[in-house]
Amino acid sequence: MSATPDQQRREESAGLMEYSAESLVPFGPIHPALKEPEYFKLVLEGERIIDVIPRIGYVHRGLEKAAESRPWVQNMYMFERTCGICSFVHSLCYGQAVEELTMFQVPRRAKFIRTIIAEMERIHSHLLWVGLMGHWAGFDTLFMWVWNDREVVLDLVEAIAGNRVHKSMNAFCGVRRDMPENMEERIVERMKFLTDRARYYREIIDTEETMLKRTENIGRVTAETAEKLCAVGPMARYVGLRRDVRLNDPYAAYDEVPLDVVTTTDGDVHALLRLRLDELVASANMVTYAVQNLPDGPIRVKVPPIIPAGEHSSHCEAPRGEIFYYVKSSGGRTPERVKSRQPTMANLPTALEMLKGQTLADIPVVLTAIDPCFGCMDRMSFYDTETNRKWTWSGEELRQFGINYYFPERAKRKPALADLIGRSASVEQCSREEF
Amino acid sequence: MPRRTAGAAVPEMFRFMLEKPTTEAYPFKPIQVPERFRGKLDIDPAKCTGCQVCSLVCPASVITMVDLGTRKVGDRELRVRRPLFDLSSCIYCGECVDNCAFNALELTKQFEVATPNKADLMMRKAVAK
Repeated sequence: MSATPDQQRREESAGLMEYSAESLVPFGPIHPALKEPEYFKLVLEGERIIDVIPRIGYVHRGLEKAAESRPWVQNMYMFERTCGICSFVHSLCYGQAVEELTMFQVPRRAKFIRTIIAEMERIHSHLLWVGLMGHWAGFDTLFMWVWNDREVVLDLVEAIAGNRVHKSMNAFCGVRRDMPENMEERIVERMKFLTDRARYYREIIDTEETMLKRTENIGRVTAETAEKLCAVGPMARYVGLRRDVRLNDPYAAYDEVPLDVVTTTDGDVHALLRLRLDELVASANMVTYAVQNLPDGPIRVKVPPIIPAGEHSSHCEAPRGEIFYYVKSSGGRTPERVKSRQPTMANLPTALEMLKGQTLADIPVVLTAIDPCFGCMDRMSFYDTETNRKWTWSGEELRQFGINYYFPERAKRKPALADLIGRSASVEQCSREEF
Repeated sequence: MPRRTAGAAVPEMFRFMLEKPTTEAYPFKPIQVPERFRGKLDIDPAKCTGCQVCSLVCPASVITMVDLGTRKVGDRELRVRRPLFDLSSCIYCGECVDNCAFNALELTKQFEVATPNKADLMMRKAVAK
């Protein structure tokens, strides 16, 4: 069914022949911060993107193969480092798959603690994303405010887990640390504060010209397209699909905690902003409920280092969408096979649909909208078919271009677009064949 | 339909102008870390028995066991081994601390471990004679 790499390459180059009259903009590929490094060939007609051809797999870390040579518990810490933002949910998902093989039950208190940490992680990930959207849209004040509020939830995570990012909280069939005593009041108060802030930010993004101009009617897809392309997480919910693992297949304590799945039907980047801020409020409510109704009991069951033979899969709702882990054991100290699938991989086809029809200036906003790691913007090069010129823009220059495009009056105070192009164009000149 | 005004952010701007800075002057003032903070690893050599559980559980292969010769217990010759820590690759997960049956290990609150010389991060406390 699937084509060989040679066939794919031939089809791809045949596809490019059709666009020979338009500009071809290579975008990417390598950035170490991305789980799935992305390389996009953008086909432009003037300013408008008419097609996007992706190629992925440039930085292959070999995590799955490395897992086969490490003991079960050590893999948990390795998979936690799959992502530097939603780290906890990866170890949770891998841990759940292994727990199914062990026949031990996870204590109820541990399930609640897992829910609390996972939701706090969602809050900090969404706040980080809202800040980045502000940054790429040219509203750096919002970025500063949001990241300042993100410290509130990171401080809570640090007080519970001992570290801001890599919590190392999970163990097989339980968690490693109990909730600290006398934290309940502090958590409830901070969650109330974050809820108020999220509502305030919603007011800002709904009324501020800067955000509205950069996000409204940008990156539109229909519900049918998103469903056909198997979008997950917020990328599915912003077009009205009620896809949420917490709802469809509850794990941890999500069957006991009141869950509010937020959906919108607008289907543009502005809807994504509203959706993520509403989700943040829902997560804060869930943390509050879970902390106030935390059951007593043990937090961990000791699991022997040898996991019985068998295979199992598990899926969890990470802040960016559904993650999936498959684990196979042959009854030894190490797994025989581990497979993991991350949400950016699932959302990439939808992101390509979002890019089509947009202008060059919208690329940072649309690509940030799917919540990948943003650093790939730093490797953008341009090619002009008429003059055979090739030049490179850094992420900062691309951001500046986007701001100048939408707010020309601000360009007077900052380096003009012509300066940017003129300066970069002198760097390199080459023919099209060198691409 | 959203209103296109620029008013919502203004009161917040004034609030931040009047408030004290939210950033902390860290290198000049000591910074507070929470009770459970996981910082640099430390060992109490007097408590360590050389059971090597820590070196088996470490996910980052920080801990290697060093042979320090033999010790006579009754008429049996026992090998004496002690852990050597390469803290440059420590991931601060605390798995060794959890698994140490003799409470010899702990994660301190010290986090300033940056050094120009990687050899500074070799912790030889337990293997020093």
